[in-house]
Amino acid sequence: MFHWTPDRSAFPTAGPDGKFDFDSHKLVKIWHGPNHPGVTGNMSLELTISGDEVLESKTHVGYLHRGFEKLYERRTWIQCFPTVVRMCVPESDSNEYNLSAGIEELAGIEIPEMAKWLRTLVLEMSRLQALLRIVPAQGGTVGLGLGVQWGVYLRDLILDRFEELTGGRIYHMYMIPGGVRGLLPDGFKERLEENLILVDEFVLSIKRLMLDNAVFKKRTVGIAHIPVEWIDKYGIVGFVARGAGVKKDVRLDYPYLAYDQLDFDPAISTDSDIYARTWIRWNDIITTVDLLRQIMAKMPKKGEFKAPTPNVLHWQVPKGEVYVRSESSRGEYGFYIVSDGSKYPRRINLRGPSYTHAVSLLEKMLVNSNISDIAATMVSLQTCPPEIER
Amino acid sequence: MKEIINNIQEKFKISEVTEQRENQYFISVEKKDTIQLVTYLKDIEKFTNFILLTAVDWIEKGQFQLTYMLNHPSKKLDIGVRTFIERENATMDSAHHLWEHVATFQRELKEMFGIDFPGSPRVDEPFLLEGWDNIPPMRRDFDTKKYSEETYFPRPGRSTNDPAEHMKKKLYPNE
Amino acid sequence: MMNLKDILSPFSAWRNLLKEPVTIKDPLTERPGAPRYRGFHKNDIEKCIGCGTCETICENEAIDLVAVANVDTKNGDSGLRPLVDYGRCCWCALCVDVCTTGSLTMSNEYTWVSNDPEDFRYIPGVDKKEWDNNDLGWKKPDYTLIPTERMDMEEMEPSEREGTFLEIVRGYSRAQAEKEADRCTECGLCVATCPAHMDIPGYIRAVREGDMEEGLRLLYETNPLPEICGRVCTHRCEEVCAVGHSGDPLAIRWLKRYIADQVPFEEYKRILGITSIEENGKKVGIIGAGPSGLSAAYYLRIRGFEVTIYEAKSKGGGMTMYGIPKYRLPMNMLESEIGFLEEIGVKFVYETRVGEDISFDEIYKKHDAVFVGIGFEKPYKINIKGEEQKGALQAISFLDDINKGKKVDIGKKVAIVGGGNVAMDAARVARRLGAEVYMLYRRRVEDMPADSEEIHGAYEEGVQIIPQTIPVEIIGEGGKVKSIQYLMAEMVPDEKGGRPKPVPIEGSEQVLEIDTLIGAIGQEADYGFLPQEYLDKIETNRGRMLVDNNNKTTLDKVYAGGDAVNKTADAISAIADGHRAADAIERMLLV
Repeated sequence: MFHWTPDRSAFPTAGPDGKFDFDSHKLVKIWHGPNHPGVTGNMSLELTISGDEVLESKTHVGYLHRGFEKLYERRTWIQCFPTVVRMCVPESDSNEYNLSAGIEELAGIEIPEMAKWLRTLVLEMSRLQALLRIVPAQGGTVGLGLGVQWGVYLRDLILDRFEELTGGRIYHMYMIPGGVRGLLPDGFKERLEENLILVDEFVLSIKRLMLDNAVFKKRTVGIAHIPVEWIDKYGIVGFVARGAGVKKDVRLDYPYLAYDQLDFDPAISTDSDIYARTWIRWNDIITTVDLLRQIMAKMPKKGEFKAPTPNVLHWQVPKGEVYVRSESSRGEYGFYIVSDGSKYPRRINLRGPSYTHAVSLLEKMLVNSNISDIAATMVSLQTCPPEIER
Repeated sequence: MKEIINNIQEKFKISEVTEQRENQYFISVEKKDTIQLVTYLKDIEKFTNFILLTAVDWIEKGQFQLTYMLNHPSKKLDIGVRTFIERENATMDSAHHLWEHVATFQRELKEMFGIDFPGSPRVDEPFLLEGWDNIPPMRRDFDTKKYSEETYFPRPGRSTNDPAEHMKKKLYPNE
Repeated sequence: MMNLKDILSPFSAWRNLLKEPVTIKDPLTERPGAPRYRGFHKNDIEKCIGCGTCETICENEAIDLVAVANVDTKNGDSGLRPLVDYGRCCWCALCVDVCTTGSLTMSNEYTWVSNDPEDFRYIPGVDKKEWDNNDLGWKKPDYTLIPTERMDMEEMEPSEREGTFLEIVRGYSRAQAEKEADRCTECGLCVATCPAHMDIPGYIRAVREGDMEEGLRLLYETNPLPEICGRVCTHRCEEVCAVGHSGDPLAIRWLKRYIADQVPFEEYKRILGITSIEENGKKVGIIGAGPSGLSAAYYLRIRGFEVTIYEAKSKGGGMTMYGIPKYRLPMNMLESEIGFLEEIGVKFVYETRVGEDISFDEIYKKHDAVFVGIGFEKPYKINIKGEEQKGALQAISFLDDINKGKKVDIGKKVAIVGGGNVAMDAARVARRLGAEVYMLYRRRVEDMPADSEEIHGAYEEGVQIIPQTIPVEIIGEGGKVKSIQYLMAEMVPDEKGGRPKPVPIEGSEQVLEIDTLIGAIGQEADYGFLPQEYLDKIETNRGRMLVDNNNKTTLDKVYAGGDAVNKTADAISAIADGHRAADAIERMLLV
């Protein structure tokens, strides 16, 4: 098989203590992003490289800082909803869910059964559309752009379903404290099922195209390995932890909504490399499609979809604090909410998976890696800068 | 969970215990004991998963609340360790040696709230805001509305009416 | 790890070569938004009341309320309409969901091209857009962001009411009041409708925040008789309540009552900040201690005037004291309110009928200004044969007697003629005395001028309403009422567009055996107390004194208010008159 190794003999080398002299002017500093096709969103990596090897990486975020957490100081609780979804663009529903659930917990509101199922449905649809975009994008990072076209088309179909259910494609603003904003339109289940059949086909074809692809394997197997000891050390969650053999899934560990009535077992691997994390998320598509079918079969036909709440215009949520979490496609997604008993939240703090995945973990992983693997590494962590800078 | 809380109360001076739900507690502890307690929770009680560290500005009390959210992965328990520090020249002991990602939280707190964590790696490097020349923006005395009015140009020609005022003007101006 | 399969497998993608492309060729025409799509705004201008709740909820400050041509400011409609700025809107549709009337909706249209950025600020429904008639799009879903159901008011069971004059309405508890107050959107449309222009959103906010002292201060700013209004006000504010468009209107009256009931009278002086009054040396005389007189007295007194009220009866309160049954307004409420006025230094001269015990001339000359709040005391006669017989009463004097504690023998069967609030009061009082009560009214029940809750209460208590009846004759026996003869009427539409008129149907005579007949078809003012020289100068119209914007009559330094001035004939209008006159008197004498 064809194999080529660059001549690294002329590269700067480490000193006798094994450390590089960063002031030697022999090392090159380059910026990977914010304008770079291999970067997941608006962030950049400040890389110090020796030849094609990374010696140091610093994550820079702030290109999309909108100060939402600050703005909530002067928003009533309901007024947080139109912007809270924007904390994570590719998967906005976890935000609405967490904020709703937090307010409901503080105010002691029990949501109707129908609302629980509709929320579960929306969260899974949201996971599906995020995975349809990101799984083939893993191929994109190593030059395999075809799968992305397929994935984006299918994602658009799921967004069509969102559009008819919630009135919006990306930012749904569907869950509000007390429940949701509407029931399923007529014929929704049938149309979703038609889409799911296409996703079933896609699962097979993307496997043939990407997972069973010699080049893809060559570029991803054994790359960007995460040792299992790092899980707690770096606060790793979700599929990244599952890739390292630790089954972490909020849906199983802290069941919320209707998840305790659903049967699923997320995939797990011990290889903990880019390929393993891609394979797990590919499996997650299968799990999610199955979950969606279970939800459609089990959810009630009709019922109340919103519990009564006080007048939202001056709702004073009782004093207290709470940490609520849900499982996003990237892992545990948590909101820390503090109410001082007034019309306005005292503090809403988002802790997304990327807060560690894209900062401390990525910075550590990129040391001694090859610059050609950076994009693949980032996408294999599914980093999302908006949730870092909020 | 009750047992763990009892253990903690035996060893530390806990001023307040709040049961948010069966598996989520918040406890308040003095500033000087905080890092010790967090270390104890991590090493002895095995709350090995560090979720977040954040601050809440209680400007009316002149205090910042720091919350260390810890999680016990196998017992599925959450504990929030609260401590209150002075708002003036806010400083807190660093916990970066306990988990790798704590330094990131501390760096953000330094920038957004102005809370210093001496010894924390890269704590003085800007996190989001490069070239920020105002007070730390997440402090409640930083007024976003005023800042935006001073910094940006509001679109001209906007005006709105209060219904009650408008009706008074139209229907009974002299009363 | 690598094998031949892994090299060949990706080539399977070639089979897509034969597939139809999935691209939509012309998305602008082939791809309409979903039926629920949150596209561009529409507004039904006729339905919209300009309450501004959309503006309140909008977190982007994308909505301004602006006056528009062809929409008038009127009772219950601010005349303002929302203007949306698409430079700020995020299409969350919370404005649609919170809209109190359901007038604001969204279309499923989502493409709009214009070179002028100003185009994207527009008033939906006023600035015509091609999607205005688009049926599809986000509508107010079947749920509420503002609770639509009014807190139930605990009332005495109708079956328990016979034989007792205890207050029916029990009043809100703190939790109930706060919950009810929570429903307010603070739009303030009610303020214009309230004759006294009370700061309704303000005192409701005080209830919500549990600040009763602030609440009382706000009440007294425009209404010194909140305990009375909190019970018997005609609450026209509730008819225009924005929340009432999609559910029950707020129980504004009960909330006012709640505030007034929470604070003990002893605290009033301190809370209202009238511990000491600086006298200004001017004197005002007030004729009649009804709501308008009491209101004028309060506002004049706290500004340092020396105020004397002349009242013919032995107690103050006017119609509210003598005309309103005690199950609606307990006596002690009135007495405490009047006691409070006495405490701050208003002088009451009771049992002094002007024109008999003291001349109007004397009052006129003794004071720097005079306020006339004489009310409508003299009842209209039904003007049919047999009205002079024993057992034919007038509602006003009947109610007065009952309130004074006199025993009135009305027998077993009573007929009331009339359909207003006084008729209802008389009927319900008669029911409490144990009589079988029939109510004869000329028009239909829906035409009755009485408040709907009074009609409802009357039904509940077993009053039998016979609508479309025209009394013809009271038949007596031995000088005592025995029965009433009446004709049935049919409603004939008015050619001029007025309300339909009752026209008697020939040959439809009916006779109802009764022991007592109570007339309640209205009252008029009695100007007998005025000497001719003054009477000449005070202009009247249909029995009501003519007043200007300041409630000043055509006679120098004489002001008037209450039923003898305004047509609405309710306590709150009288209170507003008193306040307005007090302001004008102050301006006249001090500025």
